[in-house]
Formats: sequence, C-alpha cells, structure tokens
Amino acid sequence: MHCLKMTAVEFINITKKFGSFFANRDISFSVEKNTVHCILGENGAGKTTLMKILFGMYRQDSGSLKISGEDIRFNSPHDAIAKGIGMVHQHFMLIDDFTVMENIILGNEITKGIRIDFDKTAGILNELISTYSLNLDINKKISEISISAQQKTEILKLLFRNSDILIFDEPTAVLSPAETDEFFKIIGKFKSSGKTIIFITHKLNEVRKISDKVSVLRRGMLVYESSNENRNLDLNILSQAIVGETVVKANTEKADIVFPGNDGRNAISLRNIFLKKDNVSRLKGLNLDLYKGEIHGICGVEGNGQNEIIDIITGLETEFEGEFSNPGCSISLVPDDRLKKGMISEFTIGENIILKKKSSNFISERLLDRISTETAEKYDVRVSDIKSNLSSLSGGNQQKVIFARETELESDVMIFSHPTRGVDINATVFIHSKIIEQRNKGKAVLLISSDLDELFALSDKISVIYNGAIAGTFGSEELSNFRNEELIRKSDESTGSPLSDKIGKLMIGIKTE
Amino acid sequence: MNTKFRINLISISLSLISTLLIVFVFLLILNKNPFEIFSVIFTEVFASGYGIGQTLFKATPLIICGCGLAVCFHASLFNIGAEGQLNAGSFVIALVALKAGSLPFPILFILCIVCGFVVSGITGIIPAYIKIKKGVSEVITTIMLNFIILALVNYFLVDFFAVKATMHTEKIADSNMLMKFSDIFPFFEGSSLNMSFVIALLLAFASYIFIYKTKFGYKLRAAGFNETASRYIGININKVILLSFFTGAGITSLAGINYIFGYKGFYEMGFSSNVGFTAIAVALLARNNPLGIIFSSLLFAVLDYGGLSVNQLVPKEIMLVVQGIIILSILAVDRIVKSYFEKRGIA
Ligand SMILES: Nc1ncnc2c1ncn2[C@@H]1O[C@H](COP(=O)(O)OP(=O)(O)OP(=O)(O)O)[C@@H](O)[C@H]1O
Ligand SMILES: [Mg+2]
Repeated sequence: MHCLKMTAVEFINITKKFGSFFANRDISFSVEKNTVHCILGENGAGKTTLMKILFGMYRQDSGSLKISGEDIRFNSPHDAIAKGIGMVHQHFMLIDDFTVMENIILGNEITKGIRIDFDKTAGILNELISTYSLNLDINKKISEISISAQQKTEILKLLFRNSDILIFDEPTAVLSPAETDEFFKIIGKFKSSGKTIIFITHKLNEVRKISDKVSVLRRGMLVYESSNENRNLDLNILSQAIVGETVVKANTEKADIVFPGNDGRNAISLRNIFLKKDNVSRLKGLNLDLYKGEIHGICGVEGNGQNEIIDIITGLETEFEGEFSNPGCSISLVPDDRLKKGMISEFTIGENIILKKKSSNFISERLLDRISTETAEKYDVRVSDIKSNLSSLSGGNQQKVIFARETELESDVMIFSHPTRGVDINATVFIHSKIIEQRNKGKAVLLISSDLDELFALSDKISVIYNGAIAGTFGSEELSNFRNEELIRKSDESTGSPLSDKIGKLMIGIKTE
Repeated sequence: MNTKFRINLISISLSLISTLLIVFVFLLILNKNPFEIFSVIFTEVFASGYGIGQTLFKATPLIICGCGLAVCFHASLFNIGAEGQLNAGSFVIALVALKAGSLPFPILFILCIVCGFVVSGITGIIPAYIKIKKGVSEVITTIMLNFIILALVNYFLVDFFAVKATMHTEKIADSNMLMKFSDIFPFFEGSSLNMSFVIALLLAFASYIFIYKTKFGYKLRAAGFNETASRYIGININKVILLSFFTGAGITSLAGINYIFGYKGFYEMGFSSNVGFTAIAVALLARNNPLGIIFSSLLFAVLDYGGLSVNQLVPKEIMLVVQGIIILSILAVDRIVKSYFEKRGIA
C-alpha cells in the first residue's frame, strides 16, 4: 500500500436526471475510510438522490461508483447491503405495529430450522445495544417509542447487518439537543470501531463538531469541498458555498400590537386538562393560554404531551377532562410529522393546497396549476416539474409546501410544530420571518420546537412541558434579559446561561429555585 | 399525472399480454387448439351486429357497478357487497315501476332511479356506520350483508311479489320499456342492447368528474391515500366514509335498469349473475378510473360472451379461469412495472 488513506466510496461523474431535470450533475468525490463525511446543500440540491444511488435505490444515468476501490453496479438495496452499506432514511421505514426486534430481523432472520431463533437474535441485539450504548428496549412496539428511539432502531438494523458504510440522511432534524449529543457519541463509537459515516444535515454547528470532511452540493452539482480535520471549518465560507449568494438575515422585528382590553386577546385556553390514551395518562392537569399577537413557544422532550395539546386544539381529540375553550377561532397546523400528518404524497402541490383552501365545488386543472406555480414562486419550492406529486419533492421542499398551505389560510390560531424541520438555512430564515409576520398580524401562535435557538429567537413567552403538564413559563422580560446576556456570552462560550440551564433541567423534570 | 397514466397503461397492457400467454399455454395443456378457440371467440363476438350488441349488453351492468365500486375503492373502502346492494336497489326499482306504472315515463323512470339509488345507498350506509362506530372492517360486513340482503330480497319476492311458481315479479308495461338499439339500427338485430348502455356511458363520465374534478372527490381520494393526514388537514373522515359508501352503493342499483327496463321487464332472483363480484375485478383492472372501467367492462363482456360461444370446445368455466388469471397478473405485473420505474425515479 503506497497510500495511507483508503477510499471507502468513490463517486465518479455521477449524473441523475428526472425527466429533463438534473438532480445530480457530474458529481465526483470520494469518502475516505473511517471518517465522518458531511454532505451539505440547499433543499432540493440532490443530497438524498445521491445517497439513494449509493444505496442502490436509484440507478444513475451516467457515471460510476467504487466501493473500496472496486467498481460496483447495484441493482437494488439488497446488493448495497451485501456490500456493507446501510442507510437511515430521512423518513424512517419502520412498521408501527411490530416491535423493535421484529422490525430489525425483517428480511434478516436468524433461523433454527424453519423457526426464527428469537433468543439468539435478542442476544446479538442486546450486545450491540450495550457496545454502542444505544439504550433501547427491543421488545417495545415502534408506535410506543419516541422518534429518537425509532432512529436508534434504524441504526441497530444497520449494525445487525454488519454495515461498514453508514449513511444518515438528516438524522438530527428530529432530535432534541440532548438527543443530538447522544447521537454524536454513538457516531464517535462507530468511528472508533472503524466504520465510515456519511452524514447529511442542515445544521452547520454540527458539521464543524463532528465532520472530517464536507462536500457541498448546489443545484445538483458539487460546488465546494473542505477538510475539517482540525475542527476549524469556516462556517461563513461554508454557508456561502451552500446558498451560492449571501445568506439572508432574519427579519425578526416584532411590532407592538395594541388590543382593546385584555379580553379581546384571548384565543385558546386549556384549563386543568387530563387525557388518557390506551390507559396511559398523557396530560396531567395541563394549563395553557394562547393570546392573539403572541408567539407562545413550547419546549420539551418529544412525547411529553405536545401532540396531545395539538389534537385537543384542532378538535381531533375530544375524550379529555377539563376545560377547553375556543371562542370560534379558525386553526392552522404545520404538524411535526409531515409524511404521516401533513400531506397527501400522491397529490401535487396544488391538490394538497386545494384540500384546505376555499374554492368552488368543481376544480379545474388550470386552477391547480396556478396554485402550484404561485406557491412554488412565493415560498421558493424547488420542483423539477410543477405537475409532479409531493412524493417526488425533496424533504425540505415538502415542508415548505405544507408551511405555505397553512400560513396562506390566514387562520386566527397558527400552530407550528417543528416548522423548520429539514429546511435549509435560507428557508429557515424565511419561515421564521413568516412566523413573526403572523404574530404581527395579530394571530395567536403556538410554536413547538426542539430547537432552543429557534424558540428563543421567536417566542414572546416560553413554556416548558414535562410529563403532561407545564413545568414552568418564562415571560418576555426573562427572555429579553436572556437575549441581552446571550450577546455578551457569545465572546466567552464556556459558561451556559442561567435561563437555558433552568429550561434544560425543567425539560427533564428537575425543578430548581 | 401524465407519466402515471402511461405507466398504468404499460402495466395493464403487459398484464393482458401475459394473461393471453398463460391462457395459450393452458389451452395447449388441455390439448385444445388455442388458435381455433381464439378465432371462434373473435368471430362470434365481432363478426356480427348481434355479437357486438350482446357484448355491449353484457358490459352495461359491469360499467355501472364498476363505477359504484370505484367511488368506494378510491376512498380505500373495500366494498365487497355490491352484489347484495345492487339486488336490493334493483328489486325496489322493479316494484316502483310496477306500482307507479301509470305515471308518465320520464317521471316514472326518474322516480325508479331515485328509489333504487336510495335503497342501495342505505344498504351501503350500514357497513359504513358499523365501521365508523365500531371500527369493524367493511370487508367483513359487506360480505356478510350480501347474504342477508339476498335472503331478505328473496323472502319479500317469494312471499309477496313473485308471479306464482316463478322467481320473478310481474312484468312492467311494454310502454315503459327502454328503447332497444335494434329498433333504430337493424345492424344489432336480435340483440338485447338497449338505451341502458348509453346511460352507463353517461354515468361513467359523471363518475369521472365526481372523483377527479370535484372538491369532494379530492377529499375522498385524500382520505383513501392517507387517512391520518386527511384528519389533520381537516377532512371529516366519517362523512367521507358515509357519503362514498352511500354514493357507491347507490350507483350499483342502476345496474338493474339494463335487465328490468331494457331486457326482461321484471326483477328476477339471480338476474345479476355475480356482476357485483365481477365488477370488483373490472374496477381493479381499470385502476378505479371510470373511463377505464368502460374498457375493462368491455373486455370482461367479451370473455363472458366469448365463453358462451366456445362452450362446445371448452367448458364455459374456462373464462372464469381467464378472469382469475387477469386479476393475478394485474397484481403481479403492476408490482414489477412500478418497481422498475421507481428505480429509474420515474414513477
Ligand atoms: N422521484 C423523483 N421524481 C422527480 N423528481 C425528483 C424525484 N426525487 C427527487 N426529485 C427532485 O430532485 C431534486 C433533488 O431532490 P433530493 O431529494 O435529492 O434533495 P435533497 O438535497 O435531499 O433536499 P432536502 O434537503 O430538502 O432533503 C429535487 O428538486 C426533487 O424535486
Ligand atoms: Mg433530502
């Protein structure tokens, strides 16, 4: 061996077209063995497409792939898996009614005669779980576990198949900061056990923290590469490379809204709400008020009652105890899980929007096309063909469509649950300014997010939710103090602010005075 | 939409071709001459106005019933109960046509359609209601309802309405019968093809508009594709289930018009000869597109009438086998074609 670095994956002039649209155009780069390689780029830049080619789900139109120096042509993910490649998708592919173990062994059964050897499988899985500190119960059903546990299930699946090259498509989009840290520890263990990691994200601070090398795609082409071995990546240059122009600055200026008396401001009120589902208490005496012209941020680990609040306010959940009042406000919702709750994948942009929009009873193709085009322009939705179904849009662009549909409705109450999940830098700025705009128009806004920065930047008020109740609320005064401190703190990052510490503790159920 | 349509067309053509090949081999194994049999079918069906007329006549109830099922299937409601639903409605159509026979024909005809539609629709609301209230799968309830409804119709027919020693009602007045095609076009001489066929075509177009071009149609399909998302989007799923079951089942009742107003003039037990079940395959083959259903109904009608015409050469049941093979190959070929295009990122 005359070269020290070994190449795990080599992309050579990869081109992939959908119709006449180039999703990947002449992309060439290589991923070294035993490194963490980040792939970055705007929504619709072609990241997922490239990874799907590597995983054998798509076939490139031209160009070739080398795995460990060997020319490879995959016909299906089976071939890729056989070559030690594993992928955790942007949208998980798990069966809700199966347990963690059942999901993992599906298609990889260890058998004893014709029976599945569950004991042996469980042994292997539990060993993997402890080796990589996954902290996962393999006998729980997918529907019962958190999103981060579902992700761990996907990871365990790859480990069980002995994958060496692990692809993660936006794994941290659905994780809270604490979960993200845990995830990075797992990634660290993978690296030290000799695995190669390809990692897609929109969060630049993560990139600097864990990547060894970055590749940036823009409009299907490779536009920038940089090493980050010394953890000194210049994030300004990186973000310029991603968007290709200057990064838009957020306009988060809040207008003062004057209301005639405090009564007129009331939008939604939840009093002492108790809710049981499948005999498990989900809400335990929850109180929450939404006021017009105010962004109420909810912060908390996922699964502490956030979705139940949404279900009650939207009227989907009616079997609760306590007092819920809505004085006739219309409600818009950007849900946390866009594929399951937000959209009809088989419909076009226009068709997804017309479902909620007021219109005549007969719907013409022309109207739909017009809605699609207008939305795509106004919200910068990147599509290869305006008539294509939402399933063929990139994840971030799907999110923009749902966001567009809900904000255009001009409802009195706007619920945003993880509104920028999977959305790129500039689009995040755009969405943030739209949320502020809704507030300034006098809408009552409920903002649920696991991104603390997002919550601090937008909220007028932040409540921490823990175990089905509000554990504490912080008003505008505390938040503006915090923002001022933050400006000072920037120069010296070693100490955490008292407020974010306090919130962090409340999120896991520790009360401090 | 356009590429999807093309992919569907490819998939459907391939499954028909593979069916043809399988049947070909099958006939060889039975030691028959496939060419002879195919040519007999072809000449019997297409060489005379009578053959063409009979084929269109047989296609008529399939088109109607297929459209009704398409409405349910688009909402992901697997209605297996069309056979019962259409018998209930048709029975009522015949009764109304008899009792109100003195009304002017257009009024009588519309009254019959409305009554039949409502009665069939109500038989569709039963499984819808049980599904909404108790979460019982409509597959089970609609299958069971077939038996119940047919038994009830049988009871009322035999005990109250049937002509003695027969299984049919009295005949409606000749003046109330629909016009036969052969009355205008001597080409169709002898065949039973009547104006019901035109009604079926109009119905197919109306169903197409209803499913693909109206707001409710969009909601119905959205609920069929993704129920949870539809709920969050604000679609009233219960309303969709009730309305699509009512409309879908209601439409199936019109299948009786062909027989009652166009052919025999009375309702007869067993007149539908499993149209309610065959129409499931008809709708599936057409991907639940009402315009496609016109063509798949014609295909099944060719098989049906063709089967009769080769009765001497092979058992008539062979056409049932062919229908079965078509369904299986649709399902198999569709998967293969879809995954082929998915890999290329076209689907
Ligand atoms: N099956 C498909 N058919 C047609 N166009 C597609 C298909 N899949 C992806 N595209 C288009 O290719 C482009 C790249 O999509 P891709 O999913 O790779 O983006 P991405 O970089 O992963 O974006 P995101 O950050 O939003 O996930 C998008 O414009 C998308 O609309
Ligand atoms: Mg993507």
